[in-house]
Amino acid sequence: MSSSKPLIVIVDDETHILHVVSLKLRNAGFEVITAQNGEEGFDAIAQHRPDLVITDYQMPVMSGLEMCTRLKAEPVTANIRAIMLTARGFSISAEALEQTNIQAVLSKPFSPREVLTKVQEMVLGTVDKTEAI
Amino acid sequence: MTLGKWISIGVGLITTLLVGGVLVAAPNQLVATIGSTALGTWVTAGVMGALLGLLHWIVMSKFDREVGRVASQIDLLSKDDDREVAIPSRLGMGSIARAVNQVITTFRQRIRQLTSRRRELEIQLRIAEVEQRHAASILNTISDAVIVTDPFNELAMINDAAARVLHLDASFARRRPIEQVIDDTVIVKLIKDAREGVAARPGFRRQIEHRFNREGVDQIYDVSVSGISDGLGEDELSAGTAKPNGQDAVGVVTVLRNVTRERQIADMKSDFVSSVSHELRTPLSSIKAYVEMLVDGEAHDEQTRLEFYNIIQGETNRLSRLIDNILNISRIESGVVRASREQVSLPTLMREAIDVMLPQARSKGIELKDLSAPGYFHVFADKDMIYQATLNLVSNAIKYTPEGGTVTVKIRADELARGVEVSVADTGVGIPPDDVPRLFAKFYRVDNHKRMAQGTGLGLNLVKQIIETVHGGKVSVSSELGKGSTFTYTLPLADGN
Repeated sequence: MSSSKPLIVIVDDETHILHVVSLKLRNAGFEVITAQNGEEGFDAIAQHRPDLVITDYQMPVMSGLEMCTRLKAEPVTANIRAIMLTARGFSISAEALEQTNIQAVLSKPFSPREVLTKVQEMVLGTVDKTEAI
Repeated sequence: MTLGKWISIGVGLITTLLVGGVLVAAPNQLVATIGSTALGTWVTAGVMGALLGLLHWIVMSKFDREVGRVASQIDLLSKDDDREVAIPSRLGMGSIARAVNQVITTFRQRIRQLTSRRRELEIQLRIAEVEQRHAASILNTISDAVIVTDPFNELAMINDAAARVLHLDASFARRRPIEQVIDDTVIVKLIKDAREGVAARPGFRRQIEHRFNREGVDQIYDVSVSGISDGLGEDELSAGTAKPNGQDAVGVVTVLRNVTRERQIADMKSDFVSSVSHELRTPLSSIKAYVEMLVDGEAHDEQTRLEFYNIIQGETNRLSRLIDNILNISRIESGVVRASREQVSLPTLMREAIDVMLPQARSKGIELKDLSAPGYFHVFADKDMIYQATLNLVSNAIKYTPEGGTVTVKIRADELARGVEVSVADTGVGIPPDDVPRLFAKFYRVDNHKRMAQGTGLGLNLVKQIIETVHGGKVSVSSELGKGSTFTYTLPLADGN
């Protein structure tokens, strides 16, 4: 295990959601950076290269799906995986998801507990994998 | 001298010669007693010939008269339908007249029958013509396009709507093969397939959705083809044409219904359900998450817990406002809502709205200016509703104005209309001219605006319902793309202003 805290970037236009997910993850020992739309999120992710991204789908300026598609297309961010937190999960096609690194879609209203479990599961996997390489 | 008289003289002379010749050649006792000389014999024959000629003349004259009478009566028959030939008792003419009368009676009956049959047919023809005109005009009043084709896949009937939809000339197209007149391979194939289908199974029916591009606009049509067996009517189907292979004549009725608008509404509704569900889920997500955090003891100090309680309270209010908005629209639309009217001061109400929206404006660096003219500006209205409408306009202006912009509100008297005019102007993104007419429609959202901010497409509709439907006022908008928009509503002034 790496000694430094795993870094998560959370992207959502609802400040309350950003706040609650950040707190849950910080309490569980993660480091968190937040952004309020896809464009800001993309910049933050490209800059910090987090272990995992948690993003909303529908946001002004750039949607979470568009952001994740662009992340996968950029070599620097192509391997960063994401969890999508959305009130519109049903409207995302499998084809659209294939163009991204979204590994899980959790529907809103969500449970912070479940989000944490999913994050631990995925980030631990990421850490293990990194160490294996 | 008539021919009859010459014949009578001829008969007299011939008789004289015959009788004289016989008596001279073979005289006997009788002749000897009358006259013993040859001269005597010829005189006797001459007298007999004259008598016989006279007798013939008398009889023939009588016969001529009778024939003349019958002929003149027959002549009269043509002028009078009911007259009959008088039956003469003499010269055996009675039987001829009776026979003539019988023939005439038979013919008259036949003529009467035929005349009445002809009248019947004329009436039936007129009824059929009227019915055909009715059917044609009924067919033409149908806004759906109707095409009737015969067993040979030729156009039998089409209505005006079909001529419009398919861009064809109805009078030219009649009785022509469909592939020559219908410029759409899908429809032509559908009709031909249906024709085959009907032959195999009467009552055949198929329905498809088909898109036409008309003047650059995609129109969606619901196309149904149904088979008809004999039902089209003999006049239409078999006029001048033998039934194919001795089978029952079949045709195909094709109905094209434009469902573009329905599809648009359905799409809008589905968009609405999807955005409402998103809008409802967002505050609900916060409530659920924060409650769970409290239950799990993730809020470590009293201050954090208090913050959580406030967030839960705020989101609960947001949720109920949203539900109110949706319900208000449906109540106003169904006419259930009752406005509780009172004297409302618009400047006061505007200040309340500005106070509520100020934090949102500040967070985007937007200046919120009130340039209202001084005055009371009272209206007799439902305060909550007018507040809601005003708030929606101010909130929209802030939503669609980029950071650093300005939102200006103005209240002024509209002397001409004896009303008060409230306007909310922004320096925002503006509205494309094509979107303006649909701006107040329920669920409608400008495409570019969807990217800028979330919304249900209900806010402006609610403003229009409140101002126009409930209060009899007027809402209008002027906008320039990239420069900004101004929304204005006018309400009648309350008495005493």
